[in-house]
Amino acid sequence: MTADRMNKKRGIYIHMPFCVQKCRYCAFLSFTAEGSPRKEYTDALEKEIKLRAALERDNGTDRPIDTIYIGGGTPSVMDISSMSEMVKTLKRSFDVKPDAEFTLEANPATLGRKDGVMLAKLQAYRFMGINRFSMGVQSMDNDRLHFLGRIHTAENVARDMDIIRRKGFDNVNLDLMFSVPGESGDDALSDLEKILSFKPEHISCYSLQIEEGTAFGRMAESGELTEVPDEEDRDTYHRICRRLRDAGYEHYEISNFARKGDDPDSPSPYRSRHNSLYWNMDEYIGLGLGASGFINGIRYKNTTDLGEYLAALGEGRLPVAEEHKNTAFDNISEAVFSGLRRSEGIRYEDAVRAYMEADDSGGDSTAATDAGAVFWEIFAEAEKEASEYAKRGLLVIDNEGLKLTEQGIDISNSIMSLFV
Amino acid sequence: MSYLDNIRNFSIIAHIDHGKSTLADRLIEKTGLVEARDMKEQYLDNMDIERERGITIKLQTTRLQYKAKDGQEYILNLIDTPGHVDFNYEVSRSLAACDGAVLVVDATQGVEAQTLGNVYLALDEDLEILPVLNKMDLDSARPDDARAEIEDIIGLDASEAPEISAKTGMGIDDMLEKLIEVIPPPQGDPDGRLKALIFDSYYDSYKGVIIYTRIFDGRVKRGDTIRMMNTGKNYEVTEVGYCIPGTVPADELKAGEVGYICGSIKQVADARVGDTITLANAPADAPLKGYKKAQSMVYCGIFPAEGEKYENVKDALEKLQVNDAAFNFEPENSAALGYGYRCGFLGLLHMDVITERLAREFDLDVITTLPSVVYKVVMKDGEVLDIQNPSNLPAPALIAHIEEPIVKADIMTPNEYVGSIMTLCQNRRGNMIHMEYLTKTRVQLHYEMPLNEVIYDFFDALKSRTRGYASLDYEFLRYQPAKLVKLDILLNREPIDALSTIVPEEEAMAKGRGICEKLKEIIPRHQFEVPIQAAIGQKIIARETVRAYRKDVLAKCYGGDITRKKKLLEKQKAGKKRMRQFGSVTVPQEAFTEVLKLDDGR
Repeated sequence: MTADRMNKKRGIYIHMPFCVQKCRYCAFLSFTAEGSPRKEYTDALEKEIKLRAALERDNGTDRPIDTIYIGGGTPSVMDISSMSEMVKTLKRSFDVKPDAEFTLEANPATLGRKDGVMLAKLQAYRFMGINRFSMGVQSMDNDRLHFLGRIHTAENVARDMDIIRRKGFDNVNLDLMFSVPGESGDDALSDLEKILSFKPEHISCYSLQIEEGTAFGRMAESGELTEVPDEEDRDTYHRICRRLRDAGYEHYEISNFARKGDDPDSPSPYRSRHNSLYWNMDEYIGLGLGASGFINGIRYKNTTDLGEYLAALGEGRLPVAEEHKNTAFDNISEAVFSGLRRSEGIRYEDAVRAYMEADDSGGDSTAATDAGAVFWEIFAEAEKEASEYAKRGLLVIDNEGLKLTEQGIDISNSIMSLFV
Repeated sequence: MSYLDNIRNFSIIAHIDHGKSTLADRLIEKTGLVEARDMKEQYLDNMDIERERGITIKLQTTRLQYKAKDGQEYILNLIDTPGHVDFNYEVSRSLAACDGAVLVVDATQGVEAQTLGNVYLALDEDLEILPVLNKMDLDSARPDDARAEIEDIIGLDASEAPEISAKTGMGIDDMLEKLIEVIPPPQGDPDGRLKALIFDSYYDSYKGVIIYTRIFDGRVKRGDTIRMMNTGKNYEVTEVGYCIPGTVPADELKAGEVGYICGSIKQVADARVGDTITLANAPADAPLKGYKKAQSMVYCGIFPAEGEKYENVKDALEKLQVNDAAFNFEPENSAALGYGYRCGFLGLLHMDVITERLAREFDLDVITTLPSVVYKVVMKDGEVLDIQNPSNLPAPALIAHIEEPIVKADIMTPNEYVGSIMTLCQNRRGNMIHMEYLTKTRVQLHYEMPLNEVIYDFFDALKSRTRGYASLDYEFLRYQPAKLVKLDILLNREPIDALSTIVPEEEAMAKGRGICEKLKEIIPRHQFEVPIQAAIGQKIIARETVRAYRKDVLAKCYGGDITRKKKLLEKQKAGKKRMRQFGSVTVPQEAFTEVLKLDDGR
């Protein structure tokens, strides 16, 4: 392992693939909670946690954990008892830093119907060390929530937020979805106002994508559903960005906004530390069905077949389905396209460092005197088109690195695809 | 009794799909020279493209041995013919090498336009014709109708036509007996001066060009110096032999026989189909009649696609030319597509085959431009220019008039489709010469039509309007003055030379609109509006706009699944490679060929 890799942050992602019901737009890996082998799943997860931890220790590559993120699915539908056991195992197996960010994804109306239950559940989460909630609000309009196939109402959101705040959780993300068919830009802005009224520390905004294999996908194919035109979608997006900036949020990533802290000039303390790992080429261990990980220069992805997942761990082996050792070019390419999602963009220095980290780069980062020159040597083919994007005001290229402009975000894929 | 009496040289003639290749396979199998297990389906069609399309382009020839019921051993030389109108000249030379022909008629379909065309070619070569009814294993076979059609339309006595099924092997023995009876043995003087007809040739990387030949007089052996009577070139013979199939060396070839000759010949253009081989030290007085240099009827540009090397394209074209005397090319420079080649073909099928081979056999990524015919441009100063590239059309002010090639098109169809065919031909500027009822239900329409109208998608249009029942045969007739203009296409206000076409003036408006609409479908949205315009000279006659797109962003974060995101981006990038950049406009490569496939129901 090169010295550079030692300085990387490391997180853990745990996937909980169960939901009360599947939303009509959802293409993620998830099952209906009722009747699914949830207990068997967390038992298997515990085994995976132990296997991973042992492997890291044996390799001498175990390092302290900066962030934990339990995502789904809807992790909040899991039994508190088995969650608690699983987290205990996690903490016994890995060296979790005391100030680690520990996020739980939760959907409104899944944290307990009675106030007393919910308060007690939140207490249990606090004991586990969870210090950040990410709530899938999506909309504050009950008709639209119903249309999306969500199980909650706007009233549920208000009540859940009230209890979460009462319980003293001071780091909450709310997801907002826009460009739902039939929704106008004004509708989306009105949703946003309602979400802002909860003063969340973090807001994720993304436009609905109609994916194949979902209920919406089928409806779009049969013509029952008409996608919001791109022009309108982008207009709404930019209105949201403006509104959030005015409301004191930092637009730090394409679809992520963090409320500014006491010092408005320094980066917000509420940025998602875990998601930042993905954009910074930091390391993360992925655990659970279909989870992805990136550690020790290797990207891997677990099996997406639940039976196979349980069987593998029953036999005491890791449920990894794909594994790929990153080449130097993989590294720099990923550093660029994922880094460009951040409003800061990428610095040549960091991208070139990612390149040098790979075993096949044949060099070490100290040798690189002019990172910009090295960078454009690697991406010589892309330079002409990149500078055309810059001329059109979609990309900023300077001595330090590159970043997308807000207009550039709209076509970010075309720009990113120059670097793969 | 002469050895000649035990030789039969024949071709099989048939309409596409009527089972010629299957019959050839069955004959090869019957006569035992190829083990059944070595039989690929349709042995003679040995190019993948041929097998897929069920057509024969390169000829194959095979020497069969058959022990007849009279106790005699016969040598049957089966000389294959290409089955497409593009290759009529090649067909005629193959037929010239024969003494008779087996006419295969599909008993479920009857006589078709090409059957008739090929029969006429055979009659022109004085061949005895043995009609055979094929596909007799099918329930839909109507042997009596087919027999009546052969008698009514072709004028051959079909009462004794063998009924066979090439598929099952039924009736093949009877057919062979009949063949020996009907088709006469060759004549010729083995001790006379060498006269041998080249009816095909192909390039072999070990032996050089292998010439397929029929010896009419004299004999030829290894070590002889031969002369091509039309091109005047001399070569030393390195090998002669029989095609059994493949090449099996023999001591000599003599009058009446069919076989191959090798002589370290570098390209097939030096051993042209139709040329006569003689001996350099004892030449024949005159060559066999009928030699003709292949003439390209259709041209198109072939350019390396983005990322493809010019040299690779050049190498591939040269290799193809070595084996195809009818294919020619010369360098061309397009402002839009860069350096490439202008290529000439016998027809559209020939063009398709060549471009497909470039992709398959040479793994090349090329852009083919719209096919064009050769126009004769008569200048005001009296000079006549041959223009096959619309970009080279001189300024209208300098032109007195333009002439375009006209073909004679014969369409044979069941009578119920006559109306829709007439409409189609009228829309394609066709001029009906006459129409005849061949039988009560089958009609032949004779048209004169600009070749330009035939080369795009006429054949497809004809097939779709007649549920596949109509058949087409065409041949060049003459040049004829026409009111033609050059239609230019502008993308983002820049003319794209590779999209220019020459069209009839009265159709320019409709064509221009059609092309603009088609391009609007093909060209992806850009980050800015892309106007597409059709123009004649400075005058814009049609316009469409590709709206700007505003969104190409994945807002969702896939739980750290960078690999998935990367795959999406890689796919996007790969998609772009299939595009061509014109200034700031990106055009998919297929635009250049797709653009004129205007499915406008004409």
